[in-house]
Order: sequence, then C-alpha cells, then structure tokens
Amino acid sequence: MLSRIYPGSDYFLLAAIFYYMAAASVASALLAVTRRNPVHSMLWVLALFLHVAGIFLLLGAEFLAAVQVIVYAGAILMFYLFVVMLFDLPAEEVRPRFGNHWPFAAAVGLGFACLAWIARVGAGAPSAGTPVAVERVPQGNLRAIGTALFGPFVLPFEIASLILLAAIIGAVLLARRRAA
Amino acid sequence: MIVPVNVVLALSAVLFGIGAFGFLARRNIILMLISVEVMLNAVNVSLAGFSRHLGDLRGQVLALFVIAVAAAEVGVGLGLVIALNRNKPGAAVGDLTKLKW
Repeated sequence: MLSRIYPGSDYFLLAAIFYYMAAASVASALLAVTRRNPVHSMLWVLALFLHVAGIFLLLGAEFLAAVQVIVYAGAILMFYLFVVMLFDLPAEEVRPRFGNHWPFAAAVGLGFACLAWIARVGAGAPSAGTPVAVERVPQGNLRAIGTALFGPFVLPFEIASLILLAAIIGAVLLARRRAA
Repeated sequence: MIVPVNVVLALSAVLFGIGAFGFLARRNIILMLISVEVMLNAVNVSLAGFSRHLGDLRGQVLALFVIAVAAAEVGVGLGLVIALNRNKPGAAVGDLTKLKW
C-alpha cells in the first residue's frame, strides 16, 4: 500500500519500520502495565496507541489509523488522564504495584499469548462468506469502508450508535452526585 | 503484504498477553481498565492483519466496532470508578470489600 504511494520506497525499509513499530509497541505496553505512577502509565499507553496506529498504516488500514489516533489517543486516553488527575492518589506511590498473586497473573498472560499463537493455524485459509472486497483505489480505503458500513453492516452500525447512547446515559447517571 | 501474517498475529498475541497480565496483576482499578484497552488494541491489530492478509474489508469494519464498544466501555467504566471513589477514596481494588461476606 505504502509502496504505491511512494513508488521508490524500499520493501525492506517498510519491513524494518514494521518491526520497529512492533518492538516499540510491545515495550511501551510492558512499561505501561508496570509503571508505579498512573500518569506515566497513561503516557506509555499513549506511545502504544500511536505505534499501533503506525502498524495500521503499514497494514493498509488508513481510516483505522486515523480513528485510532483521534478516538483512542485523543478521546479515550484523555478521559483516563482526566480521571487520574481528578483523583488524589498519594498512596499509589508507596503501595505495592502488583498483588501477591502476580506470578499467577504472569502465567495467565503467557498462557493467553501462547493460546492465541496456537489458534492461528487457520490463518492461511480463505475467508468464509462473501468478502467485502478491498478497493484498490489510489485515494485509500475510506470510500470502501463507508460503503461497507452503510451497506452490509448498517444494522451493526445502528446498534453501535445505540450502545454509545446507552453508555452516555449510564455514565451520566453513575457519575452524577446524588441530590439527597 | 510487507510482513508475513504470522508476525502480525504474534505481535497481537504478545500485546494481548501483556494486557491480560496487567489486568490480573495491577491493584489500581484505573490501570486495570487501561490494561483492557491494551487487550482491545491487540485484537484490533489482529483484525487489521487478517483484513490485509485476506483482502477482505470486514476485518477493518469489525475493528471499528471494537473501537466504538471500547469508547462505551470507557464511559461506563470510568463513571463507575468515579462513583466508587465518592464512597471510598482511592483506586485500590483491595479496599473494595463491601460486597464480601
């Protein structure tokens, strides 16, 4: 995808960029779950989201990369940061970061990773059902995604809007200060 | 495809494992929620990789729905955290023992 936009660009350069993005996202995810200060964790998660957006770009999902930056890094992470900064968390610096059961948790994480790796055996098979073809148009995949969202996926799209409405009402009800 | 699909899936599996570890091991409810976000991102990487590998746009559409549900989850989850913080200051899940008997 990128090599079409930049016709002279090297295949190996793109692969190297991909491996850098992968290594940086794994490193920032590890740092995010292990930092003591919650704000530092949030900033490492921001690095993770931006690197994942780069991976989306390299995989030819430009719209997904834009949504990743705008919605994830721009809206969701800012919401987390606001909540962290609203709370007074002085005890967080001195408490143990992990529960006593953290080796068990590490084993579960490793087990999940291995399970996901084992479950990839069917990855080479052709997709079932009628695929929504990726349009190889020079202006990117935005038009194809829009056609898919308002074509075969119009019902899930409307349900997603309903879920977001329910979440807005639920968040307001939960966070509202009781009158009495 | 720039890299084999197995590399993308391995990255997704490793990120998911890190997120699962963070969710289970951290004792701060906000950091547990952010670990869930790491897991959702891992799944999105996997979906985008499959979409590229199979030449099928449905993976990207599914990833968009995952992002929409993640936004809803953050709204409700952080609303719950704020309500909890009002009753019991702090964000440590070890202190939330009211439902225990």
